[in-house]
Amino acid sequence: MAKELMTVTEGETQVQVVAFKLRREEYGFNILNVKEIKGLTDITRVPFASDFIKGVINLRGSVLPVIDLKKRLGLQDMEYTDDTRIVVVREDDLEVGMIVDAVTGVITLNGEHIDAAKSVDNENSRFITGVGKVEEERLIILLNLEAIIGLQDEIK
Amino acid sequence: MDTNQYMEMFLEESREHLQSLNDGLLALENDPEEVSVVNDIFRNAHTIKGMSATMGFTKIAELTHDMENVFDLLRTEKMKVNEDIMDTLFKTIDSLEQMIESVGSGGPEDVVDITGFASKLSALASGKTVAEAEPAPAPAAAAPAAAAPAAAGSSIEYSDTDKDVIMEAANGGMHVYHVKVTLADNCVLKSARSYMVMNALDQLGEVVKSVPPAEDLEQEKFEQSFDVVTVTDSEMKAIEDSILSISEVESVEIKDAVEEIKAAAAPAEAPAAAPAAAAPTAPAANVPVPAAPVAPAAQPSAPPAKKPAADAKKLKSGQSVRVDIEKLDTLMNLMGELVINKVRLEQIGTTHRLTELTETLEQMDRVTTDLQTVVMKVRMVPVGQVFNRFPRMVRDLAKELGKELNLTIEGEETELDRTVIDEIGDPIMHLLRNSLDHGLEHPDDREAKGKPRIGEVGLIARHEGNNVVIMVTDDGKGIDADVIRRKAVEKGMISEDEANSLDDADAVRLIFLPGFSTAEVVTDVSGRGVGMDVVRSKIETLGGHVDVETKIDEGSVFKIKLPLTLAIIQALLVKVQEEMYAIPLGSIDSTINITQEDIKTVRNKEVIVLRGQIIPIIRLGDILNVPRVHETDSDDIFVVVVHIGERKAGIVVDNLIGQQEIVIKTLGKLLAGLKVISGATVLGDGRVAMILDVSALM
Repeated sequence: MAKELMTVTEGETQVQVVAFKLRREEYGFNILNVKEIKGLTDITRVPFASDFIKGVINLRGSVLPVIDLKKRLGLQDMEYTDDTRIVVVREDDLEVGMIVDAVTGVITLNGEHIDAAKSVDNENSRFITGVGKVEEERLIILLNLEAIIGLQDEIK
Repeated sequence: MDTNQYMEMFLEESREHLQSLNDGLLALENDPEEVSVVNDIFRNAHTIKGMSATMGFTKIAELTHDMENVFDLLRTEKMKVNEDIMDTLFKTIDSLEQMIESVGSGGPEDVVDITGFASKLSALASGKTVAEAEPAPAPAAAAPAAAAPAAAGSSIEYSDTDKDVIMEAANGGMHVYHVKVTLADNCVLKSARSYMVMNALDQLGEVVKSVPPAEDLEQEKFEQSFDVVTVTDSEMKAIEDSILSISEVESVEIKDAVEEIKAAAAPAEAPAAAPAAAAPTAPAANVPVPAAPVAPAAQPSAPPAKKPAADAKKLKSGQSVRVDIEKLDTLMNLMGELVINKVRLEQIGTTHRLTELTETLEQMDRVTTDLQTVVMKVRMVPVGQVFNRFPRMVRDLAKELGKELNLTIEGEETELDRTVIDEIGDPIMHLLRNSLDHGLEHPDDREAKGKPRIGEVGLIARHEGNNVVIMVTDDGKGIDADVIRRKAVEKGMISEDEANSLDDADAVRLIFLPGFSTAEVVTDVSGRGVGMDVVRSKIETLGGHVDVETKIDEGSVFKIKLPLTLAIIQALLVKVQEEMYAIPLGSIDSTINITQEDIKTVRNKEVIVLRGQIIPIIRLGDILNVPRVHETDSDDIFVVVVHIGERKAGIVVDNLIGQQEIVIKTLGKLLAGLKVISGATVLGDGRVAMILDVSALM
């Protein structure tokens, strides 16, 4: 969890994130992890997979698992709209699609404007590396990709 | 010198040579009299020494050098093979392997303390009178520069490679003759005559060199005479006679090539050694040439064989290219894409009834099928690559366990897809360990049972239809079905009733269930309860199947059945509600159409009777929890009858879509280990369909 924060605070003082909406809140992945953003396509259900795995899609000939990010974070479900997107992210050699309600843009955060995860304590804190603040009232919850996709034992 | 760029090559070749060393030593251990083996492994050791010295790995070179000294003593029979020597040599090879792997991964050379071995080796070497070893059986070491002052008068010059081959053959008890053939002055068809001479020599032995080279002979690019070096077991006279029987041959001169080389090696003697040698020699014949290919005419421009092998025949090896496996994977993926797109085009052709397109596609289909076969073949690797590491392991393990056995390996040449080869090693190793540890009895116990003390363990690969079967057999104590039943009940894996209802074959199969281990004592070797189920799941992820047959006191046979290729298979597409699934055609028996009345229940389980056989029914929709979008109102029920080994089952689906070639894609780490689903495929319309693992369904 700390790893992602490190890159934020130790490296340059700035970090770029791809920001997107889940229900009313805004979240972000480090832009270095984001491979592409694509519209919603046919998702094939995978029997026996964990409930937060929505299924798989065909990404130019290869099969890509897709995670229902709201379900993973314990948020309430919402109907898909025209704004719904699949954000394709990469962590190590693992590529995964994440369903988000809308992509809001690429945002540059200053290191000093990011609060470590501890201050936003809830049951999902392990998925969160911190909260970034832009402008006056806009908060972006930075997600820990490793925790979201990397937990093999939990998936099984 | 920047040696980094050669690292890869160094590693690969070193590994190969180490493997040969291992094999050679095992052969030597089995037959200590077979000293000729040492000649082979000597060369392997020598190459490793040379390469590592060039790369600047002095420790590796030193250790290899020490080992070489021991080989030299064995080779010149100054020392007899014994257990102590063998063990030291084996351990030395292990250390070399560790060192080489360490430098390969960028680490230091001296990961192992070699001083022990080094002193042990030199102690071995000096134990008997140390090498004042006569230079006679010239090793590859025989001087890189020695060729330079080659005997002036000799009509033929031997390259180092030639010398090695010749010496090797001579050491193997063969005669090596330098045959000089002079054709009659009035000979018209010189090329034809020379061809006949070559042919005659080929029948008596193996031509290893000719001056001028074979292709020049063919094109009559020589005067009246030519020189040939042949390896044969015939006598000089026989060769002379057979050549003289060819018409228009004026004269034949035969000399011992070994003598010639020795004479040439001592420059002082050179002028004296060969004065009379050359008769009226054509000047052209004196031109030194690289070793001519063994097959005289077959490969006109084959380069000199890279490594002179012990057996001159091995020189025939064809040309080959080392290719990075990643490139082959890419090729395979592209192939897959091509197939997907072809299928898509076919669908367009059918839906829009475009006959022209369909016809063109049929042509294209032939090409892609051929292409696919070629790509598959390129990826095929002989299982020998995996098998060859087992003799050593089995030897060590047998020693450790105090068991005596004879390992037979058959069908190493059977080919399998590279990806399977990479994965299959561990399961086989586990089965072998199991056979040694649990299967084979101790020699004394065997004797008490009236069996030979030495057990037989077999590792056999062969083709069986579209599959490759790998079997691990032993003639040990077999598996007692009752013991397995009892254990399974004790461990609470099944109830007593269930256990009793199983027949013996099924009871024995319980060993493949997770958490099952029958070893009374947990040993280092096996019996940690993570054994057979891991083997099974590994084989099944490879699309294979593992089974066991056993007979008490007669032994067991573990049979692994693997598909030839992994990447592209034929499958039947079926529909359940709105979801599409692919069932590999290999496991499908037939498809039938039944009505609700045909389904009976036996012990609360749904079955159908098909040709007198009772077959359980699996409702795919229920098993896979397919969301019900619409009610199936039709009376007709489609059943796909599948089989795994002898067992059959009927899978109930809503609709049969058709047979299609599919490209198997893995689901990736995130979705690894799902039961019932073995992978996914992209259909012609771009959607993804799951591939069913039939064995898991049953």
